Amino acid sequence: AGPAGRAMAAAAFERRVLRRAAEHHYLRVRLELPDGGARPNAAQFKQLVVTALRELHGEVGAALPVDVLTYEEKTLSAILRVISSGFVKLWSALTLLGFYQNRRCAFRVLQTSPFLLALSGNSRELVLD
Amino acid sequence: RADPSCRYVLCEVVSEDPRCRQCIEDRALGLAVRDAIARVHGDYGLACCSISFTVKYLNAYTGTVLLRCRRDSYRLLCSALPFVRFLESRAQRYPCCLNTLHVGGTIRTCQKFLIQYNRTQLLRLLQNCTNEEERQCIQKSLLSCSLTEEQSQSGDEEEDDDTE
Repeated sequence: AGPAGRAMAAAAFERRVLRRAAEHHYLRVRLELPDGGARPNAAQFKQLVVTALRELHGEVGAALPVDVLTYEEKTLSAILRVISSGFVKLWSALTLLGFYQNRRCAFRVLQTSPFLLALSGNSRELVLD
Repeated sequence: RADPSCRYVLCEVVSEDPRCRQCIEDRALGLAVRDAIARVHGDYGLACCSISFTVKYLNAYTGTVLLRCRRDSYRLLCSALPFVRFLESRAQRYPCCLNTLHVGGTIRTCQKFLIQYNRTQLLRLLQNCTNEEERQCIQKSLLSCSLTEEQSQSGDEEEDDDTE
């Protein structure tokens, strides 16, 4: 009863907690251009993100692996992916970007998550009837 | 006495152009280092490192420079030093590079390191002498320098002009 009982208790369940284990972070962002004008295409959008990083964090920031996964020119919204160690740098750089081609602009960060799947639903935009 | 929130970075200016020595002054060096930090680490890095950034000590003959910065941002400073490519003064640019020799918490530890480093450098210069005249000259200055009691704070009295 002794050894068998202990073996039964050991196989009950096991819990693993992984902290900060995600390699990438994903952000859903929207660019606001209140003064109107020509909208950037995907390449110009990426250039804008890299420029923001370069202004605030220099060449080291500009070299961060940032990817624009999707981009909609009509709504100026995009999903960005960044390596987790550069997440704070990217978000702070987007926050402090003020101008695009001498026009006022602002980045709004709508959702962030270490999992891309989590960006498919947004409980803030849920309409409850 | 030692301020625990500061780090002192000891580096030396290496240049092939002998006229670069006249640029080794605190304003030109401070500007060059801050410009390198701004390029490599951006506005955030520049602001972080500028909090208590000063050029504490300079020796134009040996090219030794002692910089002070905050303890939290000394890594930003040290990683930007290799990006200093020239020194500018009076509208003239001279290419150079900065070698980091030592990072210490107090000026005294950097001074101790510098004394030791200068000793080994003098010996190496003696070994690399090409002719007897230079060798005699160095040997004479080595034997003639001494540490006097009242000047014990500045141990660099031990070193003399390098052969240029």
